[in-house]
Amino acid sequence: MANTGLRNIKLGLFVVIGTIAFIAALYLIGDKQSLFGSTFKISAEFRNVNGLMAGNNVRFAGIDVGTVESVEIINDSSVKVLMRIEDKSREYIHKNALASIGSDGLMGNKLVNINSVKDNSTPVDDGDVIKTLAPIETDEMLRTLNTTNENIEIISSDLKKITGKINNSNALWTLLADTVAADNIRQAIVNIKLTGSRTAVITGDLSQIVQDVKDGKGSIGALLTDSSFATNLNQAVIDINVVSNNLALVSGDLKGLSEQIKSGKGAVGTLLMDTNFVHNLNQSLENIRDGADGFNQNMEALKHSSLLRKYFKNQEKEELKSNQ
Amino acid sequence: MKPNSFKNFLAEVGDISAFGWRFFTEGFKPRYEFGELLRQCYFIGYKSLPLVGITAFIMGLVLTIQSRPTLVEFGAEAWLPGMVSVSLVREIAPVISALICAGKIGSGIGAELGSMKVTEQIDAMEVSGTNPFKFLVVTRVMACTLMIPVLAILADIISLYGGYMGANIRGVVNWDLYWYQAFDALSFSDLLPAIVKTFFFGYAIGVVGCYKGYYSSKGTEGVGQSANSAVVVASLLVFIIDLVAVQITDIFQLT
Repeated sequence: MANTGLRNIKLGLFVVIGTIAFIAALYLIGDKQSLFGSTFKISAEFRNVNGLMAGNNVRFAGIDVGTVESVEIINDSSVKVLMRIEDKSREYIHKNALASIGSDGLMGNKLVNINSVKDNSTPVDDGDVIKTLAPIETDEMLRTLNTTNENIEIISSDLKKITGKINNSNALWTLLADTVAADNIRQAIVNIKLTGSRTAVITGDLSQIVQDVKDGKGSIGALLTDSSFATNLNQAVIDINVVSNNLALVSGDLKGLSEQIKSGKGAVGTLLMDTNFVHNLNQSLENIRDGADGFNQNMEALKHSSLLRKYFKNQEKEELKSNQ
Repeated sequence: MKPNSFKNFLAEVGDISAFGWRFFTEGFKPRYEFGELLRQCYFIGYKSLPLVGITAFIMGLVLTIQSRPTLVEFGAEAWLPGMVSVSLVREIAPVISALICAGKIGSGIGAELGSMKVTEQIDAMEVSGTNPFKFLVVTRVMACTLMIPVLAILADIISLYGGYMGANIRGVVNWDLYWYQAFDALSFSDLLPAIVKTFFFGYAIGVVGCYKGYYSSKGTEGVGQSANSAVVVASLLVFIIDLVAVQITDIFQLT
């Protein structure tokens, strides 16, 4: 019987250890899911939860403080995430804390991060709704990265070309290695500096001159500041205006006159426009030329006539005298 | 398969089912054989613990060592405790302990009852007014059904310890961190279905072992045959039940 008793004790020990192990395992798992111990609930509304599910962790400042109780759609633009948080961390989570969706590593589970903000506030109460931050979407991030990559690719290929060109061109290296050029450039810079300082002096002078002009010193100053001169100028302009008006009238008359001439009215008109008259005139001129020719011959004949030869000889002699 | 042997197979399935049902009809009627039940629990549970414990420890150790290279390849070495604990708790520890028990207990019961049968002790028991089914079968099946889950839980713990040892062979994982990560990966839906199915494993091992022994024949040769076929059928049943259990948990989304 003692044997049986010992056996039963061993069996009891075996069963008790097994049961304790089972209960301990259940407790350890349940502890992770915050089923034991006092908790409270808060919620947050997100536009997009990126695949967050009930049972995911909730972290405050990077420490696990609870789990996601439920995720439900409220309307077309918001999803309500109900979180069960351990009571002991309540005093640290303030009403103005920000919740955001994050993930545990690049491929890990989604989780809710609660982060405190600078401003002071009171601790959250059961059932509070806290503010949220829009989650960073991996897709969007990758899209941006892709664009950046493409740009970098273009830039690097351009850079490659530029470096190639720089390497292949001797001119640049010569230029860089040329000490004379460097000296010249240095000299040029010195000159530019000098010019600059001189320009400053000139500018000062100019400024002085402008000031003088403003004050009415010098002839330009007088010109600009003398009010009587301005009146005269005004009068002159008025006179010029009158003259130009008269001129306009004259030119109008002239226009009428020239129109009359064109249409052949009056003596000048006839003179200019009558082709018959022109022909007659030509004829007359020819006749005159013929007449002149005849006259020339007559004169030549007169020179040789004995009656008048003496007169012409004397004339020649006087001419020779005056030349000498 | 010949039609005759197929008919025999169906007949045996039917017989085992009827035998298993008889356990319920007779087992819950008084009078109860508590003393004998405790004795069987001691032999089936307590005496199997070293064997199950060593096997579980080695499985945990080996699984961790074997999983490491793959995880290292992905740079996910930190997930080793979590992955090993899920594999061990969900599948390996329950099934390994059930298979070890099918070998040790199934053959033991088959041989014990078979030799009692061929030496006509069972008949003598009946004559002396003791219900042999109640005294021999119900106590053993009940002991199996209750003890295998306890063994499976202890196997979980021991194999996780083996995993801790394995994780520290090449890497360094702190004791607290290991257990934290191991339980962090687990949920109730990992542990509970795994433990529930061990009750069925235990029941199947007990029923098959008792059936094979209870209907043993052909003298001492038959005793060996009973022990042998008890182990084979019980092991096979463990896997079939495992398949069904996994499908049921999957259907109900308990994974």
